[in-house]
Amino acid sequence: MKSTFANIVSSLPSEYADLRFEENRKIRIAYEGKELTQVAITLTSGGHVRAYVNGGKAISSFSDPGRARQIAEATCSSAALVGNSREKKLKIASAPVVTEDFLITPTRDPRKVSLKEKLDLATHYNEMILKNPNVITTQTVYDEFTSRRIFVNSDGSVIEYELVNVGVFGMIVTKKGDVVQRVRFAFGGNTDYTPLLDREEDLREQIAKACELLDAEPAKAGVYPVVLDPSESGVFIHEAFGHLSEADGLQNNPSFRAKLQLGTTLGKPILSVADDATLPGLPGSYKIDDEGVRGMRTPLITQGILSGRMHSRETAAEFNEPLSGNMRAVDVQFTPIVRMSNILIEAGDSTFDDMIGSIDKGYYLVGAKGGQTSGDQFTFGAQWGYRIENGKLVSMVRDINMSGELFSTLQATSMIGNDVRFGERGGCGKGGAGPMQMNRKSGKGSPHIKIDAVTIGGI
Amino acid sequence: MHPIIERANSAVDQAELYWNRAHSIAVRYENCRLQQVMENDVSETSLRAIKDGKIGSAYAVFPDQEGLLDNAIAGAKYGDPVQFSFTGSADYPDLVSYDENAARLQSSDLIELCETIKTKLQRQLPDVALGIGANRVKTKLVVQTSNNANAEADSTSAGYYFGAPFHGAGIGVFKFESGIAPPVVNDRLLDEFVEWYNWGAQTSTPSTGRLPVILTPQAAFLMMMPLLAGVSGDAVWKQTSPLAPRIGEHILSEKLTIHDNPLLAGSTDARAFDDEGVPCAKRVIVENGVLKNFIFDQRIGAVMGRPSSANGFKRTMFGSGNETAINPWFCCPTIEPGDTSWRDLMKGIKEGLLITGGMGFHSGNYPQGQFAVQAVGFHIINGSVVGRLDQTMISGNIYTDCRKISAVSRETGPCGGFLPLGEAPYILIDSLQAAGK
Repeated sequence: MKSTFANIVSSLPSEYADLRFEENRKIRIAYEGKELTQVAITLTSGGHVRAYVNGGKAISSFSDPGRARQIAEATCSSAALVGNSREKKLKIASAPVVTEDFLITPTRDPRKVSLKEKLDLATHYNEMILKNPNVITTQTVYDEFTSRRIFVNSDGSVIEYELVNVGVFGMIVTKKGDVVQRVRFAFGGNTDYTPLLDREEDLREQIAKACELLDAEPAKAGVYPVVLDPSESGVFIHEAFGHLSEADGLQNNPSFRAKLQLGTTLGKPILSVADDATLPGLPGSYKIDDEGVRGMRTPLITQGILSGRMHSRETAAEFNEPLSGNMRAVDVQFTPIVRMSNILIEAGDSTFDDMIGSIDKGYYLVGAKGGQTSGDQFTFGAQWGYRIENGKLVSMVRDINMSGELFSTLQATSMIGNDVRFGERGGCGKGGAGPMQMNRKSGKGSPHIKIDAVTIGGI
Repeated sequence: MHPIIERANSAVDQAELYWNRAHSIAVRYENCRLQQVMENDVSETSLRAIKDGKIGSAYAVFPDQEGLLDNAIAGAKYGDPVQFSFTGSADYPDLVSYDENAARLQSSDLIELCETIKTKLQRQLPDVALGIGANRVKTKLVVQTSNNANAEADSTSAGYYFGAPFHGAGIGVFKFESGIAPPVVNDRLLDEFVEWYNWGAQTSTPSTGRLPVILTPQAAFLMMMPLLAGVSGDAVWKQTSPLAPRIGEHILSEKLTIHDNPLLAGSTDARAFDDEGVPCAKRVIVENGVLKNFIFDQRIGAVMGRPSSANGFKRTMFGSGNETAINPWFCCPTIEPGDTSWRDLMKGIKEGLLITGGMGFHSGNYPQGQFAVQAVGFHIINGSVVGRLDQTMISGNIYTDCRKISAVSRETGPCGGFLPLGEAPYILIDSLQAAGK
């Protein structure tokens, strides 16, 4: 099949063309409360072709590999239609030809674990949660995604590679009177089955937090200094800065391109940020992206100065910047778009106590609860928080969200901790060139950080 | 009868097949330039099987049949006992969901449409980085069961969007229109876009405190998503809904009447049957502020001793489609309009907010009616817009704050955000908590 596809893309009337063919398998076991709502197996296979003709681009997904040539030729015709209408032609940066396979051999391969064992694991954790009298329901999910992909392009790259991602995650829902609270948990999130096991103590801690929250006070709206725990600050740097470092989002936004020239000072010298696909055992780690470019480490902010960004071959050519290997598609229905691999704030030298001690009145936000960004505006939630008064944590708070503007918030990041941690479960939603793609393989890491002023939503 | 159902008949107690095929064409302009043409032809299948009283599911994207039945049986081996049967034969309501002219649209037609929009907008906004797109989708959906349900629908969807970030900002104005017929450029929508874009030339941040707020139709999800979470039979069954004991009570302002109307003419989400093959019908959810009905799929209906309300859909906040498990969800939510112009609502506000969207909604405790989002929209002073909102959050609880609504507008628009395509008016909420200066 590899050689057939390679022959197709090499014979197309295009400046550049590539074709990705996938066979994917997903397993999802889901509990909601006592009820096992889903034991589901999903199979996906098919191809995706991209073509650049006369500086225009077209893409297609298809099912039948026997129609690959016909689809690829039609895609070239569409690309020509685009190219003929464009004065400014799209270009592709040159990239090394890769003819290598990248297969995955986890310590314990989830593909070799029986469905029964996976079900028993999810059942065990779910029953643990349900034993707590404050718990009114749960969501406990075993989620496994495995993919075997062939990538060929008109440069001569021929690559076979695998993706594996497995995890147990869910939600603990507690209730007391009219107050209902939800706390998330997640184990695993990379290629190995082992981290899913023996996590009872971690789960007990999350159950206890979900119970404590029932007596917590709601956050009060206003502008405050905050300390973010590593999970929250990981989401902050992902949502607020990371998405603006994805060049496909900047490519056609002249005002942000002007604001984000390499060399621009974005923060204090204590702030350094990188994207790193090469870190082992994290959700966003990979050897090769879906454009046939090797995953790598890309410094994004170095000592407060914008030093790099994430690219496709198309954006690297347009920005005249180095390749970064960040083009990924969640499955064959989607075209690859520029995505973070594992983004991280590098360690500083402040301690947690230093940060809390420096705040008279503010909040400490703990645990990522999702976020959203649009350009330089960002918003995200915390699983729980603590009110800070006179340099001390005084009481737990619930229902706490924060928002801000990227550039002022980066400048207001005044202390960076020495305790970098990565979240276990990855995840990121991004639209880009088409519908929303929910990507499991996106990691986030950070130490504690202090921000001098953000807007807190609350009562 | 689909061959999978025929094969399943001899292997399992009951089977349900959901099959669709979508052929889509989309064109996309970035910064006023044609960026890409995309064409997809995707077929998807899901099979639920009940064997020995237990249920299992399997899904496939592209390969329609291979391994599907075996995987569903493997799931059923470990599945929970089920208390419902798959749908039997039924009569479905008439619904016009297909337009041959829309089905024939090609990429060149969509490019021509986008060029028209670009030309018209550039006359008034010559230096704006416009994003424009148009698409056409032709879909065939089949739901069949071994109990003789046979629901089939051909549908078309065609639409366009345009938007642009405010100069120097990440947030901007975005407008869209869609329907089952070939789209025609709506000059009123273009004019409104230009007006709103110009409103946002300056930023303005309100003081922290309680302010009157107008939710535009695109921002109606801030109220409707918590309501959906509250009226979902699933949440009622699990006792996580704050509405569980409140049928017949006033939960919202008497000015609000809310339906789920799957037969909404022209909506691209309109359906004659849900994803379990149950016939759809218009259903009142809230009437003059009084909670009237919850929504159920087959599974939740059965455990609560209620029939499905034809709200079993493969939809969630972040996705929809074949692999999504069926759960109770709105089909086409609608809020009844009032009799006041939305511009008149604005004129009466001394200081307030016109909200067009909210960021970070999903990270709040919305199942309890709460929201705390970064406000996207405009700051109103003395009845006029003074600028786009900057660094402002709004928060509240719909079951307290939406009890006090001054008026709803006579104009309606498509509700956006996380909701399927229904219709909503502009809604003037007496006050919400704003966090700004």
